[in-house]
Amino acid sequence: MPFIVPLNVAEADYPEFIFLAALTPSEQKAAFHVRDAAGQDLCLKIIAPHFSIDRLEREIQALQQLDHPNVVRLKEYTFSSKGGKQRHYMVEEFIAGSDLAASLIDGQPWQRSRVSDFFAALCDGLSALRSANIVHRDLKPTNIRVRTNGSPVIIDFGLARLLDLPDLTKTANGAAIGTPAYFAPEQADPASTKHNIDHRTDLFSVGVMLYQALVGSHPFLKPGMSCQELRSAICTAADWRSQPGFVSLPNPWKLITAKLLEKERARRPLEAEQVGSILRKLGGV
Amino acid sequence: MRRGVWHQFGDRSQKLALDHLQNGVGAGVVISPRDLSLDSAVRYAEEYHALGAHVLIDQQFYLPDTSVGRLDSYPTVQYRASISQLHQISDTELDGLAKALEHINRQVQSDGVLAPAVVYEAGRPEIARLNSRLFSGARAVGDLLGLPVYATVVLGQSTTATETTLSQALASATSLPADGWYFAFEFDDERIPSSQGAVQRCCGAGLTLACTGKPLFHAYAGPLGLLSHGFGAAACGLGHSQNLWRFDRGRWETPDVQGGGGDAPARYFSSALWGTIVHPDETAQIPRQLLAQVMTPSPYTSPWNRWGANKHVVHVIGSTVQTMSAVDDARANAHTAIAILRQAVHLHGVIGAAGIVLRDGTNSYQANWVDAVEDLLQTRTDDFDYLALLK
Repeated sequence: MPFIVPLNVAEADYPEFIFLAALTPSEQKAAFHVRDAAGQDLCLKIIAPHFSIDRLEREIQALQQLDHPNVVRLKEYTFSSKGGKQRHYMVEEFIAGSDLAASLIDGQPWQRSRVSDFFAALCDGLSALRSANIVHRDLKPTNIRVRTNGSPVIIDFGLARLLDLPDLTKTANGAAIGTPAYFAPEQADPASTKHNIDHRTDLFSVGVMLYQALVGSHPFLKPGMSCQELRSAICTAADWRSQPGFVSLPNPWKLITAKLLEKERARRPLEAEQVGSILRKLGGV
Repeated sequence: MRRGVWHQFGDRSQKLALDHLQNGVGAGVVISPRDLSLDSAVRYAEEYHALGAHVLIDQQFYLPDTSVGRLDSYPTVQYRASISQLHQISDTELDGLAKALEHINRQVQSDGVLAPAVVYEAGRPEIARLNSRLFSGARAVGDLLGLPVYATVVLGQSTTATETTLSQALASATSLPADGWYFAFEFDDERIPSSQGAVQRCCGAGLTLACTGKPLFHAYAGPLGLLSHGFGAAACGLGHSQNLWRFDRGRWETPDVQGGGGDAPARYFSSALWGTIVHPDETAQIPRQLLAQVMTPSPYTSPWNRWGANKHVVHVIGSTVQTMSAVDDARANAHTAIAILRQAVHLHGVIGAAGIVLRDGTNSYQANWVDAVEDLLQTRTDDFDYLALLK
């Protein structure tokens, strides 16, 4: 269930901002497009009271380490209590544009030059995460904003894991956090553990989105599929290879997509930087 | 990591390596603390560097609770302990281990840091975690010295038995932030690995590591080094003694394991047979017209003696592999290896047809290697293409 704060309540609680629009909320945060006193457009995220402070601190820590055009910038984080009123929020740069979800439309594959530019830039953002030893763990089209100039920005680090630190998940199985349609097999497999999660987990999600952009359909998700069937498809299905839209791609495009969608983590590309470099080399081929 | 053949040290290898480097065979040397004390390692490393070779020093933590040979002359010896003890190594002790590694690598002026690691075993996730901690110490040393850090990936037989266990071990190993891989594969206890399945899994594991885009060192390759560049390795380790021709756990369990077959007659490594033949006992039986094909000339065959045989084997394998290393195309190198092995199978067939039976089962593996590499080319075609795409 998304955490929803009515617009009028938010306006009353945060009078220093002009509220322009409500944005898609997540389970942990209600989001608004706001403008501050200096006239700067920002994204205000009001944090749900039930959201784990530890997890949030990880997110803040992750964001503070990053300064990259393809990763959202954190401007402010506040947790205060005044006059019995608690204010817990973060302010990020506002990315004018739309979610990637709006551009990945069934039956409408992109031109390959656009795929190359967009996904290479996305890989640049992921490289920045890798340099900071951060795995996003929930890369999906609604967590990627598309600027008006067409470049991607990775947002929402609520489930990010800093590999240098112990994981927050206390259960033996800490892998299955995220959005199933963009899960990697190591997240979809109930036997998998948090130790199986690394940067290549995010790269699998990139592979799913790359496939959608190139072919115009999701490689695993079919209409009417249950969550269990979807998980099983992610772990075992290979029929995406025989889709006409995939078969007709030039070989190098098929190759890089197939490598990203490898079931075995060890056989996926190791680094987003390598993938970005290959995509740039391919260009509009 | 310098591309080509590296001298993989064993007992009494130092001068042999010098000799080969002077004759243009070898891109570098991997020093073995088991076989060479730290003082001697420092002295020889200077000579190797003077000849333009690169130098690495293997920490040999494969079986961390044993200390054989000259390992106790290195400051890392105080951190050698059982896996369960090492698993509880404190941050302070890890710092101490890193300092010891720094000291050793500074002393020998190594060209990269080989991270200590224990042998990967199936169903032992704590080993992967331990190797990750040991690697972090080496990473710190590499960063301090401005050197690349290579993760040691020695796959024990329990991991190499199935594709699933192999893949799990590789996934753990490749999650380390390494600049390359120092890779070895544990085979059955035989002189030269002959199982098609095992050789194929070894080559497949190597190919997976090579596809990370990081340089791959195929350690303890021996004659199997013919296949190293065919699965994407940048370098392969070659030593004269037979216990360096595959990863041999026994070398780190037993203090006095001798290589080279004890008092057995000297074996002559024939490039055309891609194997050994007893010389002159067996070569004397071979008809003259065939003999010219069997014999591979080298500067070390006259006068013929055991020491010459040691130098000869490194020269013959090293020259062939060095030529292959000049071709930065794994698929092409795999085909070259297949061609050499097919020729060897044919020649063995002709010798057998003449009624001559060679010792050592020296014709037992070449055909299996051909099958292994052909199967790899067929089943991992995407990976070969991906390697090319990475360039």
